[in-house]
Amino acid sequence: MRRYNLFYFIGQGFQGIFRNGVMSVASIAVLMSCLVVLGGFALLVYNIDVNLEEFGLMNEIVVFVDREAGEEDIQRIEAEIRALDNVASVKRTTKAEALESMKQQSEEYAHLYEDIDETNNPLTDSFTIVYEDNDRVVTLAYLLGQIDGVRKVNNRLDLAVTMSNFKSGVLLIFTWFLIILFVVSLFVIINTIKLSVFSRRSEISIMRYVGATSWFITLPFLFEGVIIGLVSSAAAYFVEMYFYYYIEGMVLSDLQMISIIPPAAIQMPMLWAFLAIGVLSGIIGSSISLGKYLKA
Amino acid sequence: MITFKNVRKAYPNGTVALDGVNLEVEDGEFVFIVGHSGAGKTTMMKLLLREEKVTSGSIIVGDYNLSKMSSFRVPYYRRELGVVFQDFRLFPNKTVFENVAFAMRAVGTPAKVIKRRVPAILHTVNLADKHNCFPNQLSGGEQQRVALARALANNPKIIIADEPTGNIDPQMSLEIMNLLVKINKLGKTVIVVTHEKSLVDYYKQRVITIQDGHVADDHVGGMFE
Repeated sequence: MRRYNLFYFIGQGFQGIFRNGVMSVASIAVLMSCLVVLGGFALLVYNIDVNLEEFGLMNEIVVFVDREAGEEDIQRIEAEIRALDNVASVKRTTKAEALESMKQQSEEYAHLYEDIDETNNPLTDSFTIVYEDNDRVVTLAYLLGQIDGVRKVNNRLDLAVTMSNFKSGVLLIFTWFLIILFVVSLFVIINTIKLSVFSRRSEISIMRYVGATSWFITLPFLFEGVIIGLVSSAAAYFVEMYFYYYIEGMVLSDLQMISIIPPAAIQMPMLWAFLAIGVLSGIIGSSISLGKYLKA
Repeated sequence: MITFKNVRKAYPNGTVALDGVNLEVEDGEFVFIVGHSGAGKTTMMKLLLREEKVTSGSIIVGDYNLSKMSSFRVPYYRRELGVVFQDFRLFPNKTVFENVAFAMRAVGTPAKVIKRRVPAILHTVNLADKHNCFPNQLSGGEQQRVALARALANNPKIIIADEPTGNIDPQMSLEIMNLLVKINKLGKTVIVVTHEKSLVDYYKQRVITIQDGHVADDHVGGMFE
C-alpha cells in the first residue's frame, strides 16, 4: 500500500515559508498582533468580571443617620431596617465607635483628633447592612433612603454599574476588533499562500499530470498555513505574557484596590486559545487560497 | 484500449474543436496524431489527460470512462498515463534523479522503491551516468530523455508525447523517437502528437490525421499528408 510521509508535507510547508520569506514574516506579524490585541481585550474583560464579582461578594450597604437623630430615632431606624425584605443582618456602629476606629486607622494623624471628644464628634451613628440577594439591592437601597432620619445610603452600586458599563463597552469594541482583525489576518494569510502556490505552479502542474491526488498537492500549503498560525500564536503568547506580568507588577504596587488575576492562572488557557485561533486561521486561510486546487 | 465514440468538444466561446470523432487504439499500439495548427490535436490530448471533458460522446481508456469519471478518480486515472511535453517541464533546481523521483513521490511511492527503481528507468533512457546532473547541464535531447524517464516512473500503460521533438535538433529527435519505439516494444501504448513530417514518414507507424476537428485519415504505416 502506498503511503505518504507526514514529514514530507511538513518539510514542504517550511520550504514554502522560506520561499516567500517577506510575505510569511508579514503574515506572522499581522496574525501575532491580532492575537495580542484579542488576548489583551479578553484579559481586560476577564479581570473586570473578577473585580465585579468581588464587589458583589461584599453584599454590604452602610446607612448613616441624621446628626440630629436621638437614641429613640436611631432605634426606630434600626427596627425599620430590620423589617425590610432582603436584609440578612444589621450591625450598628455608634458615632463614638466610628471615631475610635478612625483614630486607630490613622495613628500618624492622631494629633488631628486630639480636640475631638463626645461633645463635638462630627461623625454620626451608622448601620452596616448585609443583604441576601444582589439582584434586589437597588430596591433595598431605595427603601433605606426613604426611612425617616436616614441621611445617606452608601453602597457600591454606582461603581458596579460603571464597571459593568465599561465591561459592555470593552466587549463591544472587542467583538468588532475580533471580526476586523480576523478578516485582516485571513486576508494576509490567503495572499501568502497564493504567492506560494504561484511560485510552485509548474510543480503543481507536473504533480497533477503524474497523478498526485488533490490532498498531496494541497497538504504542503495547508501545513504552511498551520506553521504560520503556530509561530504567530507562540510569539503572541510570549508578548502577551510579558505585558501581563508588567501590568500585574504595576497594579500590585500602585493600584492595590484593583484585583488582578495571577498570570499563572491564565497562562495555559491563553496558550491553548492562541494556538487554536492561530492554527484555525492558518487552515481557513490556506483552504480559501487552495479552493480551486482541490479540484482535479 | 482507448476508444473515442462520436466525441464532440465545444468550448464555452462557441469554438467546436472536435466533432464526430471515432477511433480506437489497441493496447501496445504506436500511433502518430498529426494535423495542422488548430486542427484539434491539442484538444484531443486535453481530453485524453482529462484536463477537459467531452461535450458529447464518450472516451473510454481501459477501465475508465472519462465522460462519467468523478474528479476524485482523475488522479488515479492519470497514473495510467505518462506524459511528455515539448518544453520538457523539468525542475531546474532538481537533479535528474530527483526529477524522476518526484513523479514517484507524488503518488506516494515508498523511498526505498524510488531508490531502486529510478536508476533502472534512467538506464532505459540511457542516462544512468547523468543522475546527478541538473537540467541546465544537459542537452535538449538529454532533457527530453529525463522527461521521458519521468513519464515512465510510475510504470504507466500509455505514453502520450506532445510534440516531443519540437525543441530539439534532428539528430536528437531520432534518439527520442527510437526511445519511444523501444518503450512501445516493452508493451506500452505510445501516442505521439507531432508536426514533423519526416519523422512520421520515417517510422511508418499508424497515422491519424486530424483536420478541422474530424479524423480525416487513419492508416497503419501511413504518411504525413
